[in-house]
Amino acid sequence: MTTVTITSLTKTYPNQPAPVLKDFSLSVNDGEMVALLGPSGSGKSTLLKLITGIERPDSGDIQFDGASILKVAPNQRGAVLMFQKSYLFPFLTVEDNIGFGLKVQGASSQTIRAEVKRMLDLIGLPGIERRRPGQLSGGEGQRVALARALVTNPKLLLLDEPLSSLDTEVRLNLQEAIRNIQRELGVTTIFVTHDLGEAMAMSDRMALLLNGEIVAVDKPEALYHRPRSVAAARFMGVSTFLSGDPLHVQNEACTSSQKVFAIRPEHIRVQSEGCAESLPGVVSDCVFRGEYIEYQVAVNGASVRARMSMPAPTFPHGAQVFVKFPREKLFEVAS
Amino acid sequence: MKRSITLVSRFVLYLILIAPLLLFVAYTFSTRWFFPQPFPTEWTTIAFQRAVNDSRTFSGIAQGLSIAVLVSGFSLLLGFPAARVLGLRKFRGRKLVWLFFFVPTVIPPLAFGMGLNILFLRIGLAGTIAGVVLAHIVPALPYTIFTLSSAFARFDENYEFQALALGASPWQVFRKVTLRMMAPSLVVAALFAFLISWSQYLLTLLIGGGRVITLPVLLFSAASGGNPSTIAALSLLFIAPPVLVIALTARQLNEHGNEIREQY
Repeated sequence: MTTVTITSLTKTYPNQPAPVLKDFSLSVNDGEMVALLGPSGSGKSTLLKLITGIERPDSGDIQFDGASILKVAPNQRGAVLMFQKSYLFPFLTVEDNIGFGLKVQGASSQTIRAEVKRMLDLIGLPGIERRRPGQLSGGEGQRVALARALVTNPKLLLLDEPLSSLDTEVRLNLQEAIRNIQRELGVTTIFVTHDLGEAMAMSDRMALLLNGEIVAVDKPEALYHRPRSVAAARFMGVSTFLSGDPLHVQNEACTSSQKVFAIRPEHIRVQSEGCAESLPGVVSDCVFRGEYIEYQVAVNGASVRARMSMPAPTFPHGAQVFVKFPREKLFEVAS
Repeated sequence: MKRSITLVSRFVLYLILIAPLLLFVAYTFSTRWFFPQPFPTEWTTIAFQRAVNDSRTFSGIAQGLSIAVLVSGFSLLLGFPAARVLGLRKFRGRKLVWLFFFVPTVIPPLAFGMGLNILFLRIGLAGTIAGVVLAHIVPALPYTIFTLSSAFARFDENYEFQALALGASPWQVFRKVTLRMMAPSLVVAALFAFLISWSQYLLTLLIGGGRVITLPVLLFSAASGGNPSTIAALSLLFIAPPVLVIALTARQLNEHGNEIREQY
């Protein structure tokens, strides 16, 4: 289908000093789903607006299959959008909503009816043609919105936090549904989210975005286990960094040329006895989460977050403990 | 208890609204109805027929209607883009523009009417329907702009972006999405403009200069003539189109109300 290449894209909004996107480059392979993970204000949604043509970039280029689309009108680009809200047209039935794209492109009514039926089967909601958007639940609305986006056989599917307004159970169902449909149709997809779990569960590759710049791009497993920089590690839920001497704990990235090591919270052990790879500390918080216990331990004035999967020893608040950093679990990150 | 209070207040409200109409009906279809009699004694349709059959009445209605329709059409055309920008965009000087559009509702029509008349006399628009239409747009436009801009303030442009991304041309987006979503408010705005134009007396008289005669102009001259049956008959004819229009658009009015209610 489509390979998307974004090169050196920069965008600054008027009356704003800093650019929302700075020299942004990313390529998405044919049929691949790439998640853009970043906090609000990191430029994720702006990127989608630039791709659809709602906004224009200051510089840089966006190419579909090697051809620049910047001069192509938004309605000719073949990039469809799905937002947090379904934005189904309230005055049309489900059938007419899904058929909208085909209709404006001049398809015959038989084609539209057949395609709508095919899409409704695909999203697992057959037989709801005559319903109105107001009669659909949040999850159903998003499924219909997905069908409406995909029925036109788009080159690129853009998902802008499509699940963040849904209940957990519906969200998990829909994550699976979107992933399966995307794989089945093989449509190239860019998926914007601020939820790490969602990004990891759904994407082939993840791009971590901070202040308009890409911090890291890689497969979810690789980013999870071995993020290459402090910023990337923070995105992936790592909050403990050790500088220079691996057993000298600190919370902030150090500015000297010393090496920095990171460790995932679930690899840190909290125990009552000291050993070679441990440091003494005081338990400052302890939260029971079911599958694991989360400890905050004050070590050398810094706070270390540790996740101990159950069954785990329990230490009360204020207990004197030792925090163990298994050497084989430490990895070096660029500061 | 609460229910009965609602019922009573509703009854009183209807009475206040309908009583003058009933009085008009009574005057129109009766003759020689003098003081001590509580109700008319002789019922007749002569006065009504005379008013309806008068060719001046017919042309008054026809001119008034066509002027009102033109005014509401042009007010929508002019007001729609302005309302869109006022409702959707934040820009420097927005309040000032707002105030500028609001001005016609506070300046007395006599003040700008005189000025317009002098201008229109010079450029040959005085005494023409076109001139009257232009003059009526002045007081009508603020109402269309405010109705539509409050609707645009609730409008989400993402609906348009969706349609655009699905391949609709800008014109298709406008027709199939924007207009459809704005329809209830457009009806209300058109209604406002229509009613303002239809009931306009002073500007019609000033700019029309006696050559453009609408129903209100006839009504005023009849009122100074003093035949209660004629006045009442003309008044009924004067009320009829607005009542009809409101009855026909009650659904849109209701939808507009619901839309506004949904926000709170």
